[in-house]
Amino acid sequence: MDAQQLTTLTGVLDKKMNRQLKQYIDICARCSICKDACHQYVGTGDIKYLPARRAELIRQIYKKYFDKAGRFVPALYEAREPDDNLLDELYDSAYACTGCRRCMYYCPFSIDTAWILSVAKAILIAAGRGNEMLGQLADAAIFKGDNAAMFEGVMLSGFEDISEEVRAITGNPEHKVHVNKEGADILYVALAGAHSIRPAAVIFEEAGESWTISMFEAANYGFFYGDTEKARIITKRYIDEAVRLGVKEIVVPECGHAYRVAEFFYEAWSKEPMPFKVSHILEKVDDYIKSGRITVDKGRIEGKVTYHDPCQLGRNGGKFEQPRDIVKAVTDNFVDLTPNRAEQWCCGGGGGIVAMEEFKDVRLRSGIKKVEQLKASGASVLACPCENCRLQIEELNEVHGLGLEIWQVIDLVVAAMPLPGNQKKAAEVAE
Amino acid sequence: METYLWITSIWGVYLALAVFIGGMAWRIYQWSTTPKSPVRLGMFPKPKTKVGRFGKLMKDTFIAPQSAKIAPVMWGFAFMFHVAALAVAIGHLHIVIEYPFLPELLGEEGMEALATIAGGIAGIMMLVGILFWIARRTFGAYKNLSVPEDYLLLTLLLGVVLMGDHMRFVGNLEADTYRVWFNSILALKPVIPVEMIGSNTGLSLGTHMLFTDLFLIYFPFSKMVHAIGAFSSNLVRSE
Repeated sequence: MDAQQLTTLTGVLDKKMNRQLKQYIDICARCSICKDACHQYVGTGDIKYLPARRAELIRQIYKKYFDKAGRFVPALYEAREPDDNLLDELYDSAYACTGCRRCMYYCPFSIDTAWILSVAKAILIAAGRGNEMLGQLADAAIFKGDNAAMFEGVMLSGFEDISEEVRAITGNPEHKVHVNKEGADILYVALAGAHSIRPAAVIFEEAGESWTISMFEAANYGFFYGDTEKARIITKRYIDEAVRLGVKEIVVPECGHAYRVAEFFYEAWSKEPMPFKVSHILEKVDDYIKSGRITVDKGRIEGKVTYHDPCQLGRNGGKFEQPRDIVKAVTDNFVDLTPNRAEQWCCGGGGGIVAMEEFKDVRLRSGIKKVEQLKASGASVLACPCENCRLQIEELNEVHGLGLEIWQVIDLVVAAMPLPGNQKKAAEVAE
Repeated sequence: METYLWITSIWGVYLALAVFIGGMAWRIYQWSTTPKSPVRLGMFPKPKTKVGRFGKLMKDTFIAPQSAKIAPVMWGFAFMFHVAALAVAIGHLHIVIEYPFLPELLGEEGMEALATIAGGIAGIMMLVGILFWIARRTFGAYKNLSVPEDYLLLTLLLGVVLMGDHMRFVGNLEADTYRVWFNSILALKPVIPVEMIGSNTGLSLGTHMLFTDLFLIYFPFSKMVHAIGAFSSNLVRSE
């Protein structure tokens, strides 16, 4: 490694080093209580996935260059320079991590390994070793933001198709996906794909909500990639749109990290207060059901239903009860997974790992705990409000022959609504 | 023997305390002058009130209920070690001051029995904890995760506790003798009582203090700073 690159990498570490990171690095006792918390270590037994080991790689660099004791006696801490070997291991540790923070939950010092790994990703990007796929997806999202007009035609035609489907479900010729509606109360920032828009539109329209759809998607590959500037720009696309339309509230879809990005990260990235209330769509739906703005019938959903807490929505987002209340409102046959809520196992599909083919093996192996939980529950239907979780669990479902039906929560809600066109599973309507 | 005691148990103590206090102050200064993370790093469930946050902080730091749930064996040994260390620390106060009411309550023999039983049990518990940790780091997956710092700290602790236990179970010096020695250090007029020099236990004390001095000197520059850092890192959990 040449001197200039070394200066760059240590400079990134220095710049990123805040009080919490310093403390995490200084106090970790390497007690390894975190080992049984990590689905990847439990699933693979590979020490490079043990949370304390992942953090140890950053500590080794930190001790070598920034810690007096480490500089004085580097051997005591196995302090070393960020050479190719270290960066290779760091790449696997950082990009495989799903950011579920289950290790932090169980750590006696609450060390946030995922936060330490955000520094690891910044170092890897500076070394030209950031994950290419995530970087490309982030750049594509930024390109779309810069050239919105180029995409407008295809977006509008897509929204019109979805409006047709919505009308077919609700039977109301007035219902549609509202686009560019100034003064609407809500800007709904969906995911790419009709599945994320159609049931939400049915629910908003039936609830008589004043809403409009965003031209951008809530997914943020800049966040997964580990580049906060890219992540900020990607988020800013819909913040600017919300400002332009004068909405009161931004509603994010059934996506774990989208909620966390909007509610917890954007202010820190932009160094400005978030000008809008941020809600997760399930908060709204729960409210609609409880206040009687929409009607759901029990008995329309067949089979035993269970619910998976996406890590970014549950442990890291605090939304444990509203989604459960919704599921319990549509069925009497609900069973929770064990453990659940803050202790919920990560499915293994978060952090962008489903987009990185190279981690497929560790991803599937790390799903073993989720598979055990699902089998033990005896459920035949899984409600899961996160796209990445669903993609992962659908694959686990296939590989392990679980025979599960995997639903978005809003699809369950639409299926439970007494509407003319929802006799079939809402997701199948379009097919 | 006298020279050994002067080095380890008088001048070494001064040096260790100076480095320990200075080092910890430096460490706290370092932490407090580094800007906080701009991102709220808390996780759920989190208490809504300040009192609730404080309660959770205390529970997470002193009991670590989540750790107990996922790693009961490791938690058991760690909890035992820390409780024993606290008991030992309280026991050591006896060499600074005479306990206020216990001697009248228990009498001289009662005090001796209490010190022998409670101190003995605590000393054994610490020893068991250290041996468990050494074994854990020497065999199995933790070996690959461990760095020399871990073994150094455990070796120093082993020396401290082994020599402490030796004084407790084999030694023949009275608490009064230790009290004269230790108070002379605090009064900056150090003396080594003749009883110490004339007893084999003096050698145990000297070695106990040698390891203690080294442990305290290394403390602020090692992962031992979790003793104070755990409070603020656990507080972040509720942010």
